[in-house]
Amino acid sequence: MARARRSPVIARDSAPTPDAPPRHTQYALPLAKAERLWFCVYLPNLPLEACGPGDEDLAVIEERQGVHRVLLAAARARAAGVLPGQSPNAALALLPGLRIEERNEIREQQVLELLATWLEQFSSFVSIAGSDVLLLEIAGSLRLFGGLKSLRRQVAAGLEAQGFEASLAIAPTPLAATWLARGGQRACVREPANIMAALRSLPLSCLAWPPTVLESLAGMGITDVGDCLRLPREGFARRFGVKRLLQLDRALGHVPDPRNSWRAPERFCADFEMTEEQGDRELLLAICHELLQAHEQFLLARQLGTQRLLFTFFHLKAKATSLPLGGARADRAADHWYELLRLRFEKLVLPEPVIAIRLRGGTNRALHNTSGHLAFHDRPLREHYYSMSQLAERLAARIGNESVHGVNAVADHRPQYAWRARDLFAARAADALTRVRQGIERPLWLLPEPELLSTENGHPLHQGKLRFVSGPERLETGWWDEHGIARDYYTAVSPRGAGLWVFRNRDRQRDGEADWYLHGMFG
Amino acid sequence: MQRVRYAELHALSNFTFLRGASHPEELVETAAALGYEALAITDECSMSGVVRAHMAAKALELKLIIGSELRLQSGRKLVALAQNRNGYAALCRLITRARRAAEKGSYVLTRSFFEEGLPDCIVLWVPDDALALDVEDHWIRETFRDRLWIAVELLADGRQDERLDALREVGRRLRLPLVASGDVHMHRRSRRVLQDTLTAIREGVTVDQAGFVLYANGERHLRSLEVLQHFYPEELLRETLHIAERIDFSLDELRYEYPDEIVPADETPASHLRKLTGQGMRDRWPGGVPQKVVQLVEHELKLIAELRYEPYFLTVYDIVSFARSKGILCQGRGSAANSAVCFCLGITEVDPARMETLVERFISKERNEPPDIDVDFEHERREEVIQYIYAKYGRDRAALAATVITYRPRSALRDVGKALGLSDIQVGRLARSMQWWDGKRVDDSRVLEAGLDPDSPVIRRLLYLVRELIGFPRHLSQHVGGFIITNGPMSELVPIENASMEERTVIQWEKNDLEDLGLLKVDVLGLGMLTAIRRSFDLIRTFDGREYTLASVPAEDPVVYDMICEGDTMGVFQIESRAQMAMLPRLKPRCYYDLVIEVAIIRPGPIQGDMVHPYLRRRNGEEAVDYPSEEVKGVLQRTLGVPIFQEQVMALAVVAAGFTPGEADRLRRAMAAWKRRGGLGSFEDKLIDGMRRRGYSEEFARQIFRQIEGFGEYGFPESHSASFALLVYVSCWLKCHTPAAFTCALLNSQPMGFYSASQLVQDLRRHGVEVRGVDINRSGWDCSLEPDESGAAVLRLGLRMVKGLPEAAGHAIAERRGTRAYRSTQQLLERTGLDRRALEALASAGALSALEGHRHQARWAVAGVEKPGGLFASMDRFEATPLLRKPTEGQNIVADYKNVGLTLERHPMYLVRHRLDRYRYVQAERLRDMATGQDVNVAGLVITKQRPGTASGVTFVTLEDETGHINLVVWKHVAERDRAALLNARLLGVRGELQIETNVIHVIARKLIDHTPMLGDLEVKSRDFR
Repeated sequence: MARARRSPVIARDSAPTPDAPPRHTQYALPLAKAERLWFCVYLPNLPLEACGPGDEDLAVIEERQGVHRVLLAAARARAAGVLPGQSPNAALALLPGLRIEERNEIREQQVLELLATWLEQFSSFVSIAGSDVLLLEIAGSLRLFGGLKSLRRQVAAGLEAQGFEASLAIAPTPLAATWLARGGQRACVREPANIMAALRSLPLSCLAWPPTVLESLAGMGITDVGDCLRLPREGFARRFGVKRLLQLDRALGHVPDPRNSWRAPERFCADFEMTEEQGDRELLLAICHELLQAHEQFLLARQLGTQRLLFTFFHLKAKATSLPLGGARADRAADHWYELLRLRFEKLVLPEPVIAIRLRGGTNRALHNTSGHLAFHDRPLREHYYSMSQLAERLAARIGNESVHGVNAVADHRPQYAWRARDLFAARAADALTRVRQGIERPLWLLPEPELLSTENGHPLHQGKLRFVSGPERLETGWWDEHGIARDYYTAVSPRGAGLWVFRNRDRQRDGEADWYLHGMFG
Repeated sequence: MQRVRYAELHALSNFTFLRGASHPEELVETAAALGYEALAITDECSMSGVVRAHMAAKALELKLIIGSELRLQSGRKLVALAQNRNGYAALCRLITRARRAAEKGSYVLTRSFFEEGLPDCIVLWVPDDALALDVEDHWIRETFRDRLWIAVELLADGRQDERLDALREVGRRLRLPLVASGDVHMHRRSRRVLQDTLTAIREGVTVDQAGFVLYANGERHLRSLEVLQHFYPEELLRETLHIAERIDFSLDELRYEYPDEIVPADETPASHLRKLTGQGMRDRWPGGVPQKVVQLVEHELKLIAELRYEPYFLTVYDIVSFARSKGILCQGRGSAANSAVCFCLGITEVDPARMETLVERFISKERNEPPDIDVDFEHERREEVIQYIYAKYGRDRAALAATVITYRPRSALRDVGKALGLSDIQVGRLARSMQWWDGKRVDDSRVLEAGLDPDSPVIRRLLYLVRELIGFPRHLSQHVGGFIITNGPMSELVPIENASMEERTVIQWEKNDLEDLGLLKVDVLGLGMLTAIRRSFDLIRTFDGREYTLASVPAEDPVVYDMICEGDTMGVFQIESRAQMAMLPRLKPRCYYDLVIEVAIIRPGPIQGDMVHPYLRRRNGEEAVDYPSEEVKGVLQRTLGVPIFQEQVMALAVVAAGFTPGEADRLRRAMAAWKRRGGLGSFEDKLIDGMRRRGYSEEFARQIFRQIEGFGEYGFPESHSASFALLVYVSCWLKCHTPAAFTCALLNSQPMGFYSASQLVQDLRRHGVEVRGVDINRSGWDCSLEPDESGAAVLRLGLRMVKGLPEAAGHAIAERRGTRAYRSTQQLLERTGLDRRALEALASAGALSALEGHRHQARWAVAGVEKPGGLFASMDRFEATPLLRKPTEGQNIVADYKNVGLTLERHPMYLVRHRLDRYRYVQAERLRDMATGQDVNVAGLVITKQRPGTASGVTFVTLEDETGHINLVVWKHVAERDRAALLNARLLGVRGELQIETNVIHVIARKLIDHTPMLGDLEVKSRDFR
């Protein structure tokens, strides 16, 4: 058999694209050096940058006490006079084309985590310190990256290439590095003895102390770190708290300042490499099954499941082939996923034989707890739901997600909108305001398009002259889209006894005579 | 086919908020046009819209029925119609109870509310779809018995036949008659689009989500008789007439329900008023009453007696007497307020001899409506007056009128936008462009600017709906001071409901409604300037014992007019705005009546109608004063042929166009409302035709009509102007002769007026009066006067100027101090128990300098003090004192602005002047010596920005430098090009052109430069006006 080396590896979620060729994971060597040196990356524009790259007419707003204010503005917006603290309306007055985004701290945190992951190439110890600061311990990595200057250059270039504006500073304590970075001074302090001199002229605003404290200090004429350090320690502590005194001591290196390293969340990713190209589809499926079993083991250990999987088949020359799988609910069972895979794989066109297969798990989710707590009377319903969802999954796997829809009853007076499709896999949409309309007779069969009826003296004909049974039911509604109607509906009986639903348009009349249409038939 | 007759008995107006989609007037007009025999306005548990309907119906001679739709908690829907005054009272009582039992804007009705059974009301029962009869249905049957009908509402839902059969069955079983009604929500079918939108707004969803909450069709409108005949059996239509015939009630019956306790038992209202007037007359003219006055009073009393308005004058007299007894300054205004009777009663201080009297203009026999007297009280003590009224008449007989809050362009846009599914940001952008909305159309370019396509159907729909919605009532709120006092219980006159504030209630009618019905109404208003004037009088009295009252301030003092002519009027009443100040040197007022004109002329109305400049030219003798006829001369002579006052416009309509006084008054009301509703059209033709027929030129007629339009909502009546002019004169006299006391009073009455404390203090210092800072050992809560070495008055800033210091803390400091000065901050704390925030506020304001030295030391000290009784309080703590830098002048100025709002140091411009020198900026005081038309550069702090609606796109900016103020005119193109500087700058540099005209100096800006960074932390707040 031509299968050979297999190397399923559980990787951190660091591979940038699934198309990148497999590489072996590196293990960072632990550091054993007492001297520490901290490299701070401060991202003053993160709220802007987290909105995506390159929009010069962007302002991020933030709500405080119910009022929206501009938090940050991109370069061109700033040039137009858009300033932090303005109301969105004032900002729009200055730059009518301004794009306004609400601040999204979750997104910022995600970006920060991505950056932390990226920075791990420079140091095994990366720490997220607050909402806009990353700290790297670099004493050990200096030699690896060709010294301080070179390391700094590489980080700066990398950040710039990714579109981030960062302020960098290096100091022997994390706080000193952070404060210097906030001060925007490009400082580089290597010796603990020099910290004091570097911090002395730094404005207190770089310390990110609460505004009330800063205001109070400013009221005493104390505006920089040097002023602060000259105050009597006891008096300072009494007025501003021991905590702040401790911070100053930590920044100066008088007191240790332990930090936690940040680790990326785990996500399953495994490769199976072959020694030579392989085209046998049964064999490929078998390898996939093995990967799925590894995946199941991985999730089992963590008590998790996933809703999406991505198989990637690498070829020697052609572009890799992707095969995403999605389920209606989170699952980890290899057999379940394998069944879905087989259905899709049948139709999969592979341009070339395969040299490697990668399986990446989607975001991990907690599994529904199905273990025995279920009330008895719930069971049939739930099983029904499961089997429905399994049916839907299979259907979707066979004919594609976009072809399977759920059906929702929709509250709309217009008969043609009596139901609407919805995406089956989307989270259940909040139901429209539905109030039951009682006693209104609606035909079971609606024609896709109303059919124009011929008339005789203004009276509609269908297999002869119609006899009205009830009506009119007048519907005038739907003006808010392009399909508004103004119709009088009647229930009518044809000479052959068929129950018909016909209407007359109220707004469009031909030659002064109303048009009559057939819209449906009663069973 | 024989024409049927019909009366609609169930119609909701837009006063059933977010359900009804037509104004009451629209319903009435349409019902009349369709030939209905009668129309009932039956808003849901409300009488808010009935007066408007009543007025419209009266004009069209349509029978109006007053009723209300009531939904019981069980869901049963009834419509109650008042048969007579008694039934109306019962209905109002019921609505009051139902509304008072629920939160603002809603009501609760259960069977228990009907113990009385709603006597003298006809009740329509509107059964729901489910027709199974239960206990409650039988209860309805038993409660209303022979006054109960089943309402049959056939609305083309496809089941009308079924429904009619079912209701007939119910009627047979309960032995109840059936009647047709329409569940009307709008006057025309086309309003259904708006009705759907209102429904969506009400439910908080978008229209496409609203589903079956929307009505399926637009049948709920006033349908033509032919259509009704098609839908309903004839006997059901005929039944509506039987009901209408059984109703005999009109809101006109509510008139003359005046309180009677204002008249002593042994007097009639007439005799009592005569007695009081006689007394007052003798007090006013102790040396003998001039014959002219006696005649005038006699004439007025006769007129009042004919119209039976004595109780009204007596009520106002009673309120004013109370205020006087409490030392609360007040001043009446309005048409009747300037009568000789009111002068004798002390309601006004304007001596009718002081101006051409306004006799007969104040009440018109034909109009048959009560005279109008508004009384202004000191704004801080108005509440005492209100409490007095409540105490005297009881809360069940006195109430504040409502203000109907209506949809404005912005709120309409917000709600409609949401209902159509636009995002908040999209709506916000459009709302911004609404600033240019003129009520009729939106400029497409503004829509484009907001990032939306003006041609897109959604935007078209949005704009259409917004236009329709503007002016719709949204909810009721309390009027600022319109009081209504009744003889019987208020709730039998008009329903009362809960206001948003707890324990506050509001009646369901607004001021205009009360006026329309001729009900007694007194406006009790608050006026800041009265507070300031009374405080000035008090300060003068305590400082040097001189005693003044509004009446005793020396009249017609030429020195005061000299000051006014120079435009030196910062802080005085009414004529202090920039536009007013610019007018004064041109207008050169030299007497009281000139002030009356000045107050009225600088207003949007006269400006829009282009009356200002003709008047100026005529006054300066540059234009001949001529009149097209003697009658017109009689009306316009006192304003040199230019109509300036509302009364003149009305009088012109009478003498030149042949209007009756009543028609002229309707014209006045239409003027106030035409922007909202249109409707000057009929008056336009009548006015112009009338004038042409009387031989006036078409041009003159058109000009008059333009001026009427210009008046719009802003037209200012002479009767108000006359009262205001007195306060103008008194405040000017005080500013001129006792500037320290006047400024002190203004500071103690803030916020009021046009200028900030900083500007008032600078102005005072420029007039050579010394001002001293806040001092913990010298200042009271209020600013005060102290003598300097020579005995002249010096202004001492009070603790109230310290930002962030609570009033109670300020009073405590002054009280606990007594005559023993505080020695240290710790002592201050121990004696007053102030909290740290209050101490910090004092330290920041520089008020502790006597105790701690400079601000930095004071802040350090304050941050370290311990609360008495605290753990370490008794320990005499020894603590190292740091050496803190002394604040620089700049830091002090910054801290002054931030914590006191003004500085007594040098002007901040001193600090940056040297850095501005390279721009060659000229100081304000030097502009006077330069030539008009010259290029000039100026710079200063931005004090005010104003963009009046009348000046097309111009922004007026006032700058302040160390020598005075600079007035900028910024044209639209400059404003748009340099809008960042205009919007953001606190320190603004300007290149422009100087314009000097009759002592009025402007700089026309060509380029704006933002120098704000030079100011550092200085907080200057511009006051922005629209």
